[in-house]
Amino acid sequence: MSAALTLSWMEIAPSAVHEEDRQQATEEVLAALVEQYAPTLYRVAFSVLRNAADAEDAVQEAFLRVLRHRDNLDDVRDHRVWLIRIVWNIVLDRKRRAKTRPETDDVSDLARVLPATGLSADERAAAAEHHAQVLREVEKLPAKEREVLILSAFEELNSVEIAEVLGITESSVRSRLFRARNLMADLLQRPRSAR
Amino acid sequence: MNFESEFSLGPSSAAEETLRLVAKLPAPDGLADRVQERLRTAPRQARVFEWPGTYRYAVAMRGAAAAAIVLMVAGGGWSVYSHVQPLPAGPRMTTAAPMSSGGFSTAGAMRKPDSPNGPVLAHPVTPPAVAAAQKAQPKAVPKHAKKHSKAVPVIAQPR
Repeated sequence: MSAALTLSWMEIAPSAVHEEDRQQATEEVLAALVEQYAPTLYRVAFSVLRNAADAEDAVQEAFLRVLRHRDNLDDVRDHRVWLIRIVWNIVLDRKRRAKTRPETDDVSDLARVLPATGLSADERAAAAEHHAQVLREVEKLPAKEREVLILSAFEELNSVEIAEVLGITESSVRSRLFRARNLMADLLQRPRSAR
Repeated sequence: MNFESEFSLGPSSAAEETLRLVAKLPAPDGLADRVQERLRTAPRQARVFEWPGTYRYAVAMRGAAAAAIVLMVAGGGWSVYSHVQPLPAGPRMTTAAPMSSGGFSTAGAMRKPDSPNGPVLAHPVTPPAVAAAQKAQPKAVPKHAKKHSKAVPVIAQPR
């Protein structure tokens, strides 16, 4: 009895071996997710934060969260939308906290980065000014409408996926996008008509 | 798309075009590698050490631990009870309960029993035998006897 008890205590459970295999597989899946979706997550983060360092930091934080919950990776239906949702929540949280900081001139910097091929120097300057103006007006939109408008600019996201990211219905996405476009048109026409 | 033609699409479309350009900006080089490196150096979640093969004894061990805890608590209580003896019951002084709010107070008045002076009867009690004897006496009484005719109150003594 005693010998049997000792042997059963000392034996290596087969579940431990399976656990190691499972960990290895999970880490491989995680590495593949990073390779595949890190650029997409970066672009999503950058479209909200408008700062390269902050966007990269947000991407890293998103994957760290995934690492913490790597045991639930098998339950996720669509990894892409799931990851975008994680990084979206991170960047919104960061932006909310960053409102206490003094505003930087990120919009003008961003306008200079935007592609303007085939344009003369003057046209490029005018385009940069236009983009900066548009981005400033986007910031004036109500949060709900602004979020839908920003996400709708990503070609890889359809309205169903935007709804999943935001945690709302698809019809809400459509109505918010409609309102956002109308508000945006008003905001952009107002300064031009005032000129 | 030309800049001028972009303007001709209307303000809302121009805004969406700008946002689309932002959304298409390429990610910096080596981003995935940096993220992988960060994940490799990140502290892993603490894992609970589990001795292989202990699961089948887990319930029994849990029960034994619970029994040990109960025994320790009971033993501690018994040792305290056996070492601390209760004080012998002595005379207790009780104080008058304070008046609850809203009631009448005695204003400090105390009742003094009149037992030292003895009880005073309002109406003297005459035993029936004496009363009958008094009735039987003739009405004419000598003058000198009148002085002593006053009835002396007799108190029935309890047996």
